[in-house]
Amino acid sequence: MIAFEQFTLDNGLKVIFHQDKTTPMAVVNVIYDVGARDENENKTGFAHLFEHLMFGGSKNIPNFDAPLQLAGGECNAFTNNDITNYYDQLPVQNIETAFWLESDRMLELAFTPKSLEVQRNVVIEEFKQRYLNQPYGDVWLELRPLIYKEHPYKWATIGKEISHIENATMEDVKSFFYKHYAPPNATLVVGGNLELDRVKELAEKWFGSIPSREKYDRSLPVEPEQKERREKTIERDVPANAIYIAFRMAERTDNEFYTGDLVSDILGRGKSSRFYEKLITEKKMFSQVASYVTGGWEDGLIIVMGHLLEGISMEDAEIAMWEELQDLGKNDLPERELTKVKNKFKTSKVFSEQPLLNRVMNIALFDRIQMLDELNDELSKYDAVTSTSIKEFSSKTFVHENSSTLKILVKK
Amino acid sequence: MNRTVAPSYSQAQDLKLVLPEKIMLNHGVALYWLKDVPDASVKLEISWDAGSKYQDKHLVASFTSKMLLSGSENLSAKAISEEIDFYGGYAQQEMDKDHAGISLYGLAENIEAIFEVFEKAFALVSFPDSELQKELDISLNKFRVESQKVKTLCRRAFVKGLYGENTKYGQVASEEDFKKLQSADLLNYFNDKYKFAPVIFLTGNVPDQFIDKLRLWTNHFKPIEQPHFSQDFSQTKGRVEIPKEGALQSAIRIGRLMFKKDHPDYYKFQLLNTILGGYFGSRLMTNIREEKGYTYGIGSGMAVLQDVGYFFVSTEVGSSVKEDAIKEVFHEFDRLKNELISADELVKVKNYMLGEFLRQADGPLHMMEIFKNIYFNRLPPTYYSDFIKAIHSATAEELMTLANKYLVRDAMVEVTAG
Repeated sequence: MIAFEQFTLDNGLKVIFHQDKTTPMAVVNVIYDVGARDENENKTGFAHLFEHLMFGGSKNIPNFDAPLQLAGGECNAFTNNDITNYYDQLPVQNIETAFWLESDRMLELAFTPKSLEVQRNVVIEEFKQRYLNQPYGDVWLELRPLIYKEHPYKWATIGKEISHIENATMEDVKSFFYKHYAPPNATLVVGGNLELDRVKELAEKWFGSIPSREKYDRSLPVEPEQKERREKTIERDVPANAIYIAFRMAERTDNEFYTGDLVSDILGRGKSSRFYEKLITEKKMFSQVASYVTGGWEDGLIIVMGHLLEGISMEDAEIAMWEELQDLGKNDLPERELTKVKNKFKTSKVFSEQPLLNRVMNIALFDRIQMLDELNDELSKYDAVTSTSIKEFSSKTFVHENSSTLKILVKK
Repeated sequence: MNRTVAPSYSQAQDLKLVLPEKIMLNHGVALYWLKDVPDASVKLEISWDAGSKYQDKHLVASFTSKMLLSGSENLSAKAISEEIDFYGGYAQQEMDKDHAGISLYGLAENIEAIFEVFEKAFALVSFPDSELQKELDISLNKFRVESQKVKTLCRRAFVKGLYGENTKYGQVASEEDFKKLQSADLLNYFNDKYKFAPVIFLTGNVPDQFIDKLRLWTNHFKPIEQPHFSQDFSQTKGRVEIPKEGALQSAIRIGRLMFKKDHPDYYKFQLLNTILGGYFGSRLMTNIREEKGYTYGIGSGMAVLQDVGYFFVSTEVGSSVKEDAIKEVFHEFDRLKNELISADELVKVKNYMLGEFLRQADGPLHMMEIFKNIYFNRLPPTYYSDFIKAIHSATAEELMTLANKYLVRDAMVEVTAG
């Protein structure tokens, strides 16, 4: 059980405190309610580029990293389609340094042209390193626009194309900051061996005077229900043919998420999973298989993928994969198999909650997705999944009209 | 309130280490047990002197450890993994050039059942042909995926150049090696290495009866004979270029053989390395990423194995700026050799490193890694407090001397790929 206390400053900034008396380290985490979904379709990749700029100095502090390192701290951040999250880890006695740094960049960035110019290049190198210069690196760049036609989930966090990043201007940076980086659009989470009064005092002192600015009201186009099978085949310089099938499912906040997550475990988690057993061991058609859910905040996906062995036809491989998917919708799941995936989830949850940073980040994510009061209910929600709900989910989800298939063929 | 003035701060306190208790099981097997864990998590790591340096044929060591749970004619790999999974367990291969083995993860309530499955599988493993064929298919696919990455091509050539291709540490597998591997190779290696006493690291709040179970299990082992092993290295110097057509980025690795952790220069060289490329604010990151935008990331590090240590710089940069990036790496070497590090920078890096010690020791699993470092490198229990003292006392002059002694371009192998 993760305990926490919460309060809100007058400017609308939500603050949550999680006490941990066992560690000499503290975590200060600021999550902003902005992700790649909030971008202009002609200026994609911007939320992530902006995250880089957040380290390029703020109104009163020319360099973010150096003072934190001086206080023995370390920081990082990540952006996804839904949110942007920043965190600092430092010895608890120096926690005020993190309040000072985080509050100043929420107050206002320095907006230096040099920072924009350099970070554009850094992000372009990141684009190449992670998406273009790796085998299968561009899978999600291809898959997203196949699955989504309306919703901004149709582009990847890194952006649609390099030119969008090249063309980002200082005007874009400024308007993005004032639109999204306001106190009501953020949550501050503090973890460590502190008392609530101290956290209140520091939060008020450093964040209290930041103008509230405007709360961003999101209204994004809704992705209509998919009604036809979609498929795309691409040729790439890769070592093996590969297949990815994406199925639409409910968003992260829906109870269906838990069923979908366990279904993905039954299919693809570990060596006793169905894909591993049938497709690798028994039928010897694949050398790699996986299944997972994306947990998008506005719309979810369950993904299945595999790398084909040499000499196996794409058609046969696809049929074999579908047999496993449809079996789950037709036949009852043995009770032992359901218990197995629940037990595996339980173990991984205990391990994942061991580091303070993970607990703090979870609180932040659950707050922004409006599920904070259910933070400690995850285990019982997974426990509530039954073999009936697995069967229902599978027969509804794993149909061709709900699928988007990407085939990657070895370039001859 | 004046926001331009930083709040006051103090240096991180000394590191409070919680070391595991040593329990001698039977036949010379040592168990190191850290039981002060605030939750139900348990990690059991079993390690043998069975790393790749002991193999006479490529891939044998890694496939032996990878296939410890592959079963036999009478007990299938499928049944073994199903049972471990049913108890919510995770099994993970542990493998490097010196050691090999397995880690089992689970909750305290299930760890005994998970271990029983492992115990049964370990007792009868025969590395069946069909299982080996499957693992070869899986691994060969991964190997081919890796072989298309400039980073991997660069690392492989670096390993050969650093240790010498004909040394045990310098071995790099090729596709042909996958075809030559046979079940008998693994069984022989298993009989040769895994019948001797392992060392066990246990992190978790388990009942004493589990310790009794481990004790009973160790009756099967022969007492360890200190492996007689030595190797001489022959490092390449200068440029090695691996071409890769159409690559958008080039991977760069520059480095040299160094000393081990018991060398008098080790602590302060680590400080010098941190300044050069060991953290986000390092000289290399500042110059090559934050000033020039050549790369998403660049870093340097020092790695120490049982028989030798090495220093390296590693990055991936836009292909058109490869030569510029290399020039800048050596420019940063020269600055450290010719200019004293400023007091501001030195105190920043010292403080950062002291904070980093705390982060590395945070939580029981991290604490066990700290202990394993001491154990495997045969370091004194005062290693960390000595390290911290050395960092506190280091001066800019000492670091300049070290830079001149070790950051010598002529002593480096420089590998590029793409």
